[in-house]
Amino acid sequence: MLEIKKLNVSVEENKILNDLTLSIKTGEVHAIMGPNGSGKSTIAHTLAGNPNYRVESGSISFNGSDLLDMEPTERSLDGLFLAFQYPIEIPGVTNASYLRQILNSHRKHQGKDPIDAAEFLKLLKEKSAYLKIPMEMHSRFVNTGFSGGEKKKNEVLQMDLLDPKLIIMDETDSGLDVDALKVTADAVNQMKSKNRSLIIVTHYLRLLEYIKPDFVHIFQNGKIIESGDSSLASRIDKEGYE
Amino acid sequence: MSKDQCLISINGFNSTIENLSSFISITKAEDFITNKVLDIEIDKSENAQRINLTLNSSSTDLIDFEINLTLNEGAILEFVDESNYSNNSNIRLITQLHKNSCFELYKLNSYNNENTNKFYHNCSLLENSTFKDYSFSNGSKENFSKTIINLDDVNSRYLGSGVSINNSTNSDTEIEIRHNTKSASSDCYFKTVAKGSSKVNFDGTIFVDNYCSKTISNQVSKGLLIGKESKINLVPKLEIYNDDVECSHGAASGQPDKNTLFYLTSRGISKEEAEQIYVEGFLSEFFETIDNASMAEKAKNFINLNT
Ligand SMILES: Nc1ncnc2c1ncn2[C@@H]1O[C@H](COP(=O)(O)OP(=O)(O)OP(=O)(O)O)[C@@H](O)[C@H]1O
Ligand SMILES: [Mg+2]
Repeated sequence: MLEIKKLNVSVEENKILNDLTLSIKTGEVHAIMGPNGSGKSTIAHTLAGNPNYRVESGSISFNGSDLLDMEPTERSLDGLFLAFQYPIEIPGVTNASYLRQILNSHRKHQGKDPIDAAEFLKLLKEKSAYLKIPMEMHSRFVNTGFSGGEKKKNEVLQMDLLDPKLIIMDETDSGLDVDALKVTADAVNQMKSKNRSLIIVTHYLRLLEYIKPDFVHIFQNGKIIESGDSSLASRIDKEGYE
Repeated sequence: MSKDQCLISINGFNSTIENLSSFISITKAEDFITNKVLDIEIDKSENAQRINLTLNSSSTDLIDFEINLTLNEGAILEFVDESNYSNNSNIRLITQLHKNSCFELYKLNSYNNENTNKFYHNCSLLENSTFKDYSFSNGSKENFSKTIINLDDVNSRYLGSGVSINNSTNSDTEIEIRHNTKSASSDCYFKTVAKGSSKVNFDGTIFVDNYCSKTISNQVSKGLLIGKESKINLVPKLEIYNDDVECSHGAASGQPDKNTLFYLTSRGISKEEAEQIYVEGFLSEFFETIDNASMAEKAKNFINLNT
């Protein structure tokens, strides 16, 4: 699914990722932990193609294609999804119309007709009920004035709508209350499948206890310093990174 | 068509005026095309009167005329111009709003980037009269619009909302608001989008004379630059000669936020569509401020069509 080799990435003259190598097979769930500023969001944004992150060297292959050759739009349409640590507010654009547009971009790519208003509303009601998102939120502007937790839930909703092949969740659990965390974990577990891979960036054991990753990697200074199974997450939780 | 309406249609060298309201009187209509002047007077009525102006022409003749509009005491008028201007034009509107009258002007106009289009409006407001001025335009080769508002008596109010969407077109908008009385208010909001190689100018002048205490006046202008070669120049000018006023103004222009565009593309939306969504978001507040639901819908369509 994903093959990252000797990746070096800079942000505004600062080198952040150092020779990062990581391989993820289809169906696997990988967790990434690591101290603040260690480069977790940097790899997440580099995978999604954020132009602020400059790839100096190395390669990323995604389902056999050269990911670094693809525009962000193309990456998304080919099944990559990044749930942002800090979702962006878009004033003036209602969440409902935004969600419908992103869904329709994907449908168009799949050669399907745009979803009609009634069908979309039904789908939105279904998915929102499952994630305990009030429908009222969709008539507000995208993420604008949403609480931290509401923004994160909105990311999970988009992930669910777009049905991606590779999911990268950047601290989606931060800011969620205990109930919302459980709902989110359930949603993620539902999405676990042998055709889909997940990368879960988190600081907390709690989400990982629900989701049970196959691998846990520890980031430091822009590279993986240790990898293991889920027991590594428990150890970090007890002992810290020092 | 419901009653209480007047349709003015100007088609090349022909004009038809269909007046179905007893509250609207029109003089000089017979030889309007030769005289190029139309005098319209609106009387007080319970419901708003409505004038629909349509201009149609396939020829390249200059559309050139003047309307003198008077709203008598207590009159309520909605004036709607949804024309697509395929000609050069030079239109002048002179408006007198008497006591307690209310005038809503909706201009939703598409122009064409080969033409020169001029619109001049001079509006004087008497006691407790209100003018709501909505203008949506897409610019032309030379698109010049000048509005002069004279707030001549107490409690007169001006609410102006202007949107100019330019796609390798040019537009030059001047709004001069003259507070010639105490206790009058004005709110002016202008937003523009410049795509391709557009050039947009906006001059907003607020003048408050020395005897005009208790004046409230706000002006905001914002520009969104989409094309690398486009230019936006927003110039607020304040001439305030009284201390007892509440005035604010702000002008800002810039490019779309990169993080927002990335967020949109990371969800599978193309770069072009992402920009369009951004522009729609930027302009959306305008159709939300229009109380009249059908006009709000039209403004929304105009924005969708031109972005
Ligand atoms: N635009 C930027 N300009 C300068 N430095 C940046 C920029 N963006 C990120 N960095 C730096 O890159 C480093 C890695 O940041 P990154 O966001 O990847 O950390 P992280 O592991 O996700 O941290 P956290 O756990 O706090 O989310 C940090 O030192 C950060 O300050
Ligand atoms: Mg981070």
